[in-house]
Amino acid sequence: MDAQNKKAFFTGSGIPVKEVYTVEDIKSLNLEKDIGLPGQEPYLRGIYSSMYRQKLWTIRQFTGFGTPAETNARFKYEYEQGATGFSIAFDSVTENGFNPDNPEVAHDVGTGGVNICTLKDMEEMFFGLPIDKLTTAVIASPFPACPLSAMYFALAEKRGINLQMLDGTTQNDLLLFTVCCNSPGTIPPRYLIRLCVDLVEWCAQNTPKWHPVSFASYNYRENGLNACQELGLLFANAIAYIEEELKRNRLKIDDFAPVLSFHLAAHNDFLEEIAKFRAARRMWYKLAHERYGAQNPKSLTLRFHVQTSGSTLTYQQPLNNLIRVAYQVLAAALGGAQSVHANSYDEGICLPTEQGILLSLRTQQIAQHETGVTNVADPLGGAYYLEWLTNEVEKHSWDYLKKVEDEGGLVKAVESGWVHREAVMAMNEYQKQIQNGTRKVVGVNCFESEEEPHQVPLFRPNKEALQIQKAKLAQIKNERDNEVVSQILRELRQVTEKGGNVMPVVLKAVKAYVSLGEICDVWREMYGTWEIPFGKIA
Amino acid sequence: MDNKKTKVLMAKPGVDGHWRGAMIVSMALRDAGMEVIYLGNQTPRLIVESALQEDVNVIGLSILAAGHMELVTEVLNLLQEKKVKNVLLVVGGTIPREDIPRLKQIGVHEVFPPGSKVENIVKYVAENAYNS
Repeated sequence: MDAQNKKAFFTGSGIPVKEVYTVEDIKSLNLEKDIGLPGQEPYLRGIYSSMYRQKLWTIRQFTGFGTPAETNARFKYEYEQGATGFSIAFDSVTENGFNPDNPEVAHDVGTGGVNICTLKDMEEMFFGLPIDKLTTAVIASPFPACPLSAMYFALAEKRGINLQMLDGTTQNDLLLFTVCCNSPGTIPPRYLIRLCVDLVEWCAQNTPKWHPVSFASYNYRENGLNACQELGLLFANAIAYIEEELKRNRLKIDDFAPVLSFHLAAHNDFLEEIAKFRAARRMWYKLAHERYGAQNPKSLTLRFHVQTSGSTLTYQQPLNNLIRVAYQVLAAALGGAQSVHANSYDEGICLPTEQGILLSLRTQQIAQHETGVTNVADPLGGAYYLEWLTNEVEKHSWDYLKKVEDEGGLVKAVESGWVHREAVMAMNEYQKQIQNGTRKVVGVNCFESEEEPHQVPLFRPNKEALQIQKAKLAQIKNERDNEVVSQILRELRQVTEKGGNVMPVVLKAVKAYVSLGEICDVWREMYGTWEIPFGKIA
Repeated sequence: MDNKKTKVLMAKPGVDGHWRGAMIVSMALRDAGMEVIYLGNQTPRLIVESALQEDVNVIGLSILAAGHMELVTEVLNLLQEKKVKNVLLVVGGTIPREDIPRLKQIGVHEVFPPGSKVENIVKYVAENAYNS
């Protein structure tokens, strides 16, 4: 049990580490070319020269439950308490592109997130909130990403906001609901990538401040993969989108690379996570510049959100999670994140309570205003161990990316079940380490308590959400012009068949109060549904 | 106890897609020699129909999106309707402590929340599966 009795020491991703690092370990580095300055190539040290002096990271808490009205109240609470951005957590019904009146999904309406079905829901959710001043992340899986983003854009237009100025993000990550979560309602990945890139393409031309994808390696990590696998898959995913767009011959790399964004995890190995954030920036610079010839600095800089790792939270002794989250937030700050979600301490038990959310906001505010880490850009830059580790993480990440490319690229690696097998091996190994004690989890496999030392309040979802959402949809279907709806849905099918960008007609659809399920049904009818090939992976 | 005679159906009722926990437990049960059918996401009705068709001794349900009381009640009602007996029903996932006795009261045999030791889950299933 004594650390001193261990024979060898490793980082969280399994990189062996020595007792101490010296200048010898980084002598192969060219200080100017490989490290440089913040705001300058290769952007290892940050994407802005003065980093947080210029702009603090956005405090953006992933939020959503029950009905749009309930989520609106929580957003307002967060805004009053100093949140500087919003992030929508949808329920699994919405993420699968189903409507709440589908009897097969009744028990999931409004449970793990908010239920959104039509533009009316989007209007309710942001009622009274200044979406022209605060940025929003629409955390939608790729299948419903076009219609859900379109609902937000339609809401902005109705409020008179110029879409050219509208700032925010859609998750729209191919792996999120084909690997990380199983999604029984989605279409096969080879068709899904087309919808993903349609949104990227449309936004690059119409909403230049909107990020139509946030490659979410956070979620790959949550399935047990390590820091280097996280970055390897992250860039494999970005490459898949870039290749899909370039092969259309409509846009050049600098026309759309500036709107790409990223969403990384902050896990437990504090210094390795900081090294990972720095390595990610340098890798993206090399990819965009050397591989794709991008020139625009906005194409070359990796803008990323960080979410603290939900899978590190424990059900046992939940107050300990506050401490885990605080360290993870600090890693994000020292790694130069543009926005951060601090998980709530109670998320191993339930959706966050108001108390949980308040503490998450305060954790971030204390980091920003009390710790002093925002005074200096990349304050750990140049440290022997950190620079050495940044290089190591980068090297292993390139190796892993190569593995994905050897599988025929990301889309093939998903459809074949390769990525899932990798995740299964990793999650099994992680579990074995907890079981045999080589990975310590305080309160779970060491320092356990017989009885829970403290009581914590519990969040309960609203049991009425299903009825409220169903009734609202029935009323909308009754009031809207259903002739127009049928016509738009026919048009959507035609555009999809012809390979045109689906976004203009999706926008037209949501404005006519066509529901999410009706739009997604068009694509399900055309392509069928696809689930994780569990039979092939374990 | 002969684990080889134990047949487990592992499923996630509803459409919540978090599959890590169900997969970890499935692999551990399989490593212990049991036959495990991993069903993935399915409606309560199809879960019960599959359990009948496959003639399993154990049903494992993994629920992480707060709908556990409703989803489990529906599975239990369907088991009763189809007159399924001698099946061990085990639930895992983010189940608040105060809901554990409630689930047991309506007919769940055991509940394993996050952080449960996998070896304890395997032991419990091995000892309690109705190897008839």
